[in-house]
Amino acid sequence: MSEQEIREGMLLAVWDEPPLDFDPDKLIRRVEQKKSRRRALVAVGVATAMIAVVSLSLPGLLPRGDDSQLAADQPVVSSAPVNELTRKKAQRIGDRLAEQLSARMTNLKDVSATLDLGAVYGYPPYAPTTTRKSSDPKMSGYVFLTDQIGPTALRVEAVENGSPTRSTCGGAIMCRDVKQADGSLVTEAEFAEGGPDISRAEAVRRFGNGYAVTISSHNYNPASGSGLRQTVPVRVEVLTALLMDESIDWE
Amino acid sequence: MRKADEQGFREFAAANAASLRRTAYLFCGDWHTAEDLMQSSLMKMYMAWKRIKDLENLIAYARKVLLRTWLDEKRRPWRRAEQRDGELPDAADATVDPDTTSAKLWARELVHTALLQVPPRQRAVLVLRYFEDLSVAEVAVAMGCSEGTVKSQTARGLATLRAIVEKLDNSSGRVAS
Repeated sequence: MSEQEIREGMLLAVWDEPPLDFDPDKLIRRVEQKKSRRRALVAVGVATAMIAVVSLSLPGLLPRGDDSQLAADQPVVSSAPVNELTRKKAQRIGDRLAEQLSARMTNLKDVSATLDLGAVYGYPPYAPTTTRKSSDPKMSGYVFLTDQIGPTALRVEAVENGSPTRSTCGGAIMCRDVKQADGSLVTEAEFAEGGPDISRAEAVRRFGNGYAVTISSHNYNPASGSGLRQTVPVRVEVLTALLMDESIDWE
Repeated sequence: MRKADEQGFREFAAANAASLRRTAYLFCGDWHTAEDLMQSSLMKMYMAWKRIKDLENLIAYARKVLLRTWLDEKRRPWRRAEQRDGELPDAADATVDPDTTSAKLWARELVHTALLQVPPRQRAVLVLRYFEDLSVAEVAVAMGCSEGTVKSQTARGLATLRAIVEKLDNSSGRVAS
């Protein structure tokens, strides 16, 4: 078989070629589509790689606390648990107050207390104010009791910056500071407001940090504004004893 | 790509598509695969057109791309392979000339059977040398090898092809020329 025969054989082999249906425009469109697909793929790849790098490097860039948790500028604590805990504490204080008052004055019946955060006014339902002002007490409420005359209440109020003794004593027929064994100071005051009987008795315990708790007894029911009586249902010495009760954690 | 460049490619592709498909057919022995190879080669050229449009011998470059595309395709493990176990319909062709039929059938046999049994690189050298009528130097450029390699591959390819054709002739009773 000569080279010439091979040459002729190859030419004859393509002699019956099928018709060519070739469109350059179609080919160009295919290439452009392929190029745009490749560009999109590269963009997605780069974006994925960047996200991966950032997500891996971000924890290393942020400062860490001792417990290896991500440190924020301030500890992130939701307000709900704090309120819940403080409310529970206020209620515990109220329960202890009611217990101690019952123990000290056995003639009282139906002794209970409602203490809550902020300013608590009115009867019923002794609801705390929903919006709190800076002048509002930190905690307030009533200790309800019923004696031989009828139902009444003691007013309880705790403030962060207690007023000085002289403002408590203004208009009082008796006012004294009683130094307690633990170093705290209790101011006892009684008011007659022009009458022969004591219309209000008040005991204020001031702590070293300015925190002050006041329990007052009135010749009316401070929770309802009614139930006027001749004198206060609970004397100031009892109020001081309640303030100084070791089982109550005021602060 | 600029409109002028795109038009230049369009003209080049339209002028050389048929020639490239024929060469591809002699490489692979199948017209459909040949068309795919031709289109793939032209797509590659379009993507590089800005860089290659000013080359002196663009068709030689196109042949080189075609050859590389075919060899790459052959190397792929998942390469498409046509199953040739079907029966072709035995129908008469009224347009054929009986005098030339024998020669044409022999040529088709040559390509489909003998040439396809030659190793790929030797087959490529034979096609470029005897079908495209390229010189040894031009084949060396297309193949990306030295001229000596082209000569040795040509000699081996011819020997292989002759041996296969002789074997085919003996089995069909035809006397080898």
